[in-house]
Amino acid sequence: MSEYILEMRNISKSFAGVQALKEVSIRCKPGLVYGLVGENGAGKSTLMKILAGAYRADAGEIVYKGAIRDQASTAEIIDSGISIIYQELALVRQMSVAENIFLGREPRNRLGILNLGELYDRAGELLKRLGIRLNLRLPVSELTIAQQQLVEIAKALSQNADLIVMDEPSAILAGSELDQLFRIIESLKLQGVTVIYISHRLEEVFRIADEVTILKDGELVATRPIGELDRATLVEFMVGRPLDEVFPQTEHEQGELVLVAEDVSTDTILAGVSLELYAGEILGIAGMVGSGRTELARALFGADPLTGGSIKLAGGGEARWGSPAQAINAGLALVPEDRKTHGLFTALSVRINVTIPILSSLTRLGVLKRAAEEAVVRGAQERLSIVMSSSDQETQFLSGGNQQKVVLAKWLSTDPAVIILDEPTRGVDVGAKFEIYKLMRQLNDRGIAIVMISSELPEIIGMSDRILVMNDGRIAGELAREEAGEARIIELATMGGSEAALT
Amino acid sequence: MNQTANLFGGKSKRDSRARAVFLRRNGPIIMVYAFILLLVIIGITQSERFFTERNLTNVARQSAFLGIVALGQMLVILTAGIDLSVGSLVKVSILVSAIVMNGESGNVLPAIIATLGLGVLVGLIHGFLINELRIAPFIVTLASLVILRGIGLTISSSPVGKASREVMMFYVQKIGPIPVIAWMFFVLIVLTMLLLRYTVFGKYLFAVGGNIEVARLSGVPIKAVRYGVYVLCSLTAAVTGLLWLSRMGVGDPAIGDGIELQTITAVIIGGTSLFGGRASVLGTLGGVLLLGITANLLVMLGVNQFIQGLIQGVIIVAAVALYKQEGD
Ligand SMILES: Nc1ncnc2c1ncn2[C@@H]1O[C@H](COP(=O)(O)OP(=O)(O)OP(=O)(O)O)[C@@H](O)[C@H]1O
Ligand SMILES: [Mg+2]
Repeated sequence: MSEYILEMRNISKSFAGVQALKEVSIRCKPGLVYGLVGENGAGKSTLMKILAGAYRADAGEIVYKGAIRDQASTAEIIDSGISIIYQELALVRQMSVAENIFLGREPRNRLGILNLGELYDRAGELLKRLGIRLNLRLPVSELTIAQQQLVEIAKALSQNADLIVMDEPSAILAGSELDQLFRIIESLKLQGVTVIYISHRLEEVFRIADEVTILKDGELVATRPIGELDRATLVEFMVGRPLDEVFPQTEHEQGELVLVAEDVSTDTILAGVSLELYAGEILGIAGMVGSGRTELARALFGADPLTGGSIKLAGGGEARWGSPAQAINAGLALVPEDRKTHGLFTALSVRINVTIPILSSLTRLGVLKRAAEEAVVRGAQERLSIVMSSSDQETQFLSGGNQQKVVLAKWLSTDPAVIILDEPTRGVDVGAKFEIYKLMRQLNDRGIAIVMISSELPEIIGMSDRILVMNDGRIAGELAREEAGEARIIELATMGGSEAALT
Repeated sequence: MNQTANLFGGKSKRDSRARAVFLRRNGPIIMVYAFILLLVIIGITQSERFFTERNLTNVARQSAFLGIVALGQMLVILTAGIDLSVGSLVKVSILVSAIVMNGESGNVLPAIIATLGLGVLVGLIHGFLINELRIAPFIVTLASLVILRGIGLTISSSPVGKASREVMMFYVQKIGPIPVIAWMFFVLIVLTMLLLRYTVFGKYLFAVGGNIEVARLSGVPIKAVRYGVYVLCSLTAAVTGLLWLSRMGVGDPAIGDGIELQTITAVIIGGTSLFGGRASVLGTLGGVLLLGITANLLVMLGVNQFIQGLIQGVIIVAAVALYKQEGD
C-alpha cells in the first residue's frame, strides 16, 4: 500500500456546459491536514462532493486506501471511512440534535427497534468528548446556525472516519467555538485521521494546514507545503494577481444622525438595546454567537415585533415599523445571516432574487421591463463579480460565495439609506471580500449608514468607525476604532460568562 | 425559473449548453406532449369516431372547462397553496347563475355579476382565513369544499333555474372551426403566461411559493398576494360555473364534483411542484389535454369506468416519477 490514503487523479466535471473541474489531482497522507483554497466557484466543493459520491466525475479516478474506487453509493463511502461536513448544512430540522447525529445509523436492539436510551447516551458521550455543550433533545430548528454547525461536526466525527472533509466549517464559527474546532482537528491528526479543510479565512489555513492546494476556475494552480507559502503568495495564487489586503477607510467626518434606537426589547433575547447611527459611518456590532446580534438586526428591520422601546428615523417621527416591507420603504435593508432560509429563493433564478425588492419600480403600465431587469442583474454581476452561467440560473446551483454576493446585490439594488449587514463576507473569497469592503466605503461616501455584524474580529476592527459589543442581549460597551483591539472586544463580549447560549 | 419562458425564449442561444438546460427543464413537458401525440395516433388508428370534427370540438370544449379552473389552481399551487373548493364552487355557481337568470335575457348581466361576485367573495374568505387566522390552505379550502357543497345541495337537489337562449347558444358558437369556449381558454392561457412573465404580481407568486420567509424579508406584500391568488382561482371556478350553465341550460346540482382533483392532477402532470415556487402554463395545458384526450379515447374505445380510473391513476404516478427523475 502506498503512503497515500487518498489520491484523486485528473478529475474533471462539468455541469450543463460549465466546466467546474478540469483534470484536478490531489494526494493525501494519513494524519495530515490539507488546506483547499480558491475563489468562489473555483470548484472546491464540487471536488469534495465527488469524493463523497454526491456527484460523479466525468473523468479521472479515485484511489482510496490503495484501491481504485468504483462508483459507490454515499452510504458505502461513509462506511469506507470518508465523512464530509458540507458547506450547506444538511440537517433534518424537525429532528433532535441526537437524532441528527446518528441519522441512518441509529442504535437498535435485537428486534430492530430503535433504542432511544442508547441513542441519547452515545450522543451525550460524543458531545462531551468533543467539548460541545448542547441540549441533545432540542430540535435542530431551534438552534442558531453556529450551533447547527457544531452538530454537523459532531455528526461527521461520530462516523469514526479515516478521512474527514470540512467544507468551510468555520464560516459561521467564532471565538471559543473556533478554538474548539481546532482542538478537535489537532486530536484527529494525532489519531492518524486525514483532514481536508476548506476555508476562505487564510489565517486558519496557516494555523492548521500542513499542505495547501489552490484551485482557480476549476484548475489546479499549485500544491505547496505550508512552510513554503506566505499569505501574499497564497492570495496571489488564488486571485491570479497580487492583492493589497488593506481595509479601505473613509476620510470624511461623522455625518448627521439617521437612526436612533432606544431601549429596544423583543421577546427573543434583546433586553433594552439603545444605539445611534450616523450617515456615512460603519457601526460594527461584535459579540459572541447567541449574544443577540442577529436579533438586533431583525428588530431594527421590523422582522421581529418590538415588545418595548422605540426606533426613530432622524428625519421622520416614530418608526416602529410592523413589517420588513415598511422598513424597506423607510429606506432600510437587511442582508441576513442565514442566506439559505432568510436570504435566497434557492429554487428561483438569480434575476428574481436580485430584483425582487424593486420589482414594482421596473414596470411600465404594470408590465415588467425585461431589459431593465437584466440591466439591474448585469450591473450587480459586474460590481460584485458574480460567477453565474446566466441570469436564469437557479441560485442553488451557484457556489456558496456567489450566493452571498447575490443576496448583497439584491439589497444594493434598493438604494437604501441604512444597510444592516449580518456577516456580509461569510463564505466570500479574499478578492471579493475586499471588493465588498470597498463597496461599503463607496456606500458610506454616498451618505449611507451601515450596521455591520461580524464574527471576524479583524473585519470588525478594520472596517468599523465605532464598535458596539453585545453580550447577553445587551450592549456591553462601545469602543471607538482607536481603542478597539481584539482583546478588549473579547473581554466585553465574554464578561459575566456569556457562553450560556450554548447550554 | 419558469419553463414557459424557456419554451419561447430559447431561440436566442442555440449552443449546446442552452440546449442541455432547456432539456433538463422541459424534458418532462416534452414527454407529456409526446404522450398526447401517441394518444392521438392511437385514436386515429383505432377509432373511426375519434378524428372527426364533432369529437375534436368536444374534446376542445371539455379541455377548456377543466383547463380554465386548472389555470387558477396552478397559480394557487405555485404559491405552495391548494384550492380544494373549486369543484363545489362550480356547483354553487351554476345554481346561482341559473336561478338569477331564470331564462330571461335581461337577467344575463345580473347573473354574471352575481356569480363572479360570489367567486370574489369566496376567494376573499379563503384569503382572510389563510392570512389573518393562519389556517393552512388545505384545511381552509377543504372546509369550503364541504360547506359549498352543502349550500349547493340545500339550494336544490334537482335542476333549478334556466339559462337564457343566448347563453345556451354561446355553448355551440364557433369562430372558425373552433368553439368560442376553447378560444376563451386559449386567451386565458396567454394571459396567464403574460401574468407570470411580465407582471410584478406574477413574480410575487413565485417568491411566496419559493420561500415565504425570504419573500417577507424582501418586502413582498404576502397577504395581498394570497388574497389575489385565491380570488383569481375562485373566479376561474365561477366562470366555469357559468360555462356549465350554457352547456346544461339549467342549474344542475350534479355538476362540479371532482373538479378539484382533476385540476390538481392536471397541474401536477404539467410539472408544477406541490411545494410551490415552480409552475408551467404549457405544462398545465399538457396535463389538461392529456386527461381530456385519455378520457375521451377510453370512452371511444369502450373501456369501462373502473379501468378509466385506474389508467388515470397510473398517469399521475408516472408523471410524478418522471419529474422526480429529471429534477435530480
Ligand atoms: N449542481 C450544480 N449545477 C450547476 N452548476 C454547478 C452545480 N454545482 C456547482 N456548480 C458550478 O460549479 C462551479 C464550482 O462550484 P463549487 O461549489 O465547487 O465552488 P467552490 O469552490 O466551492 O466555491 P465557494 O467558495 O463559493 O463555496 C460554480 O461555477 C458553480 O456555479
Ligand atoms: Mg464551496
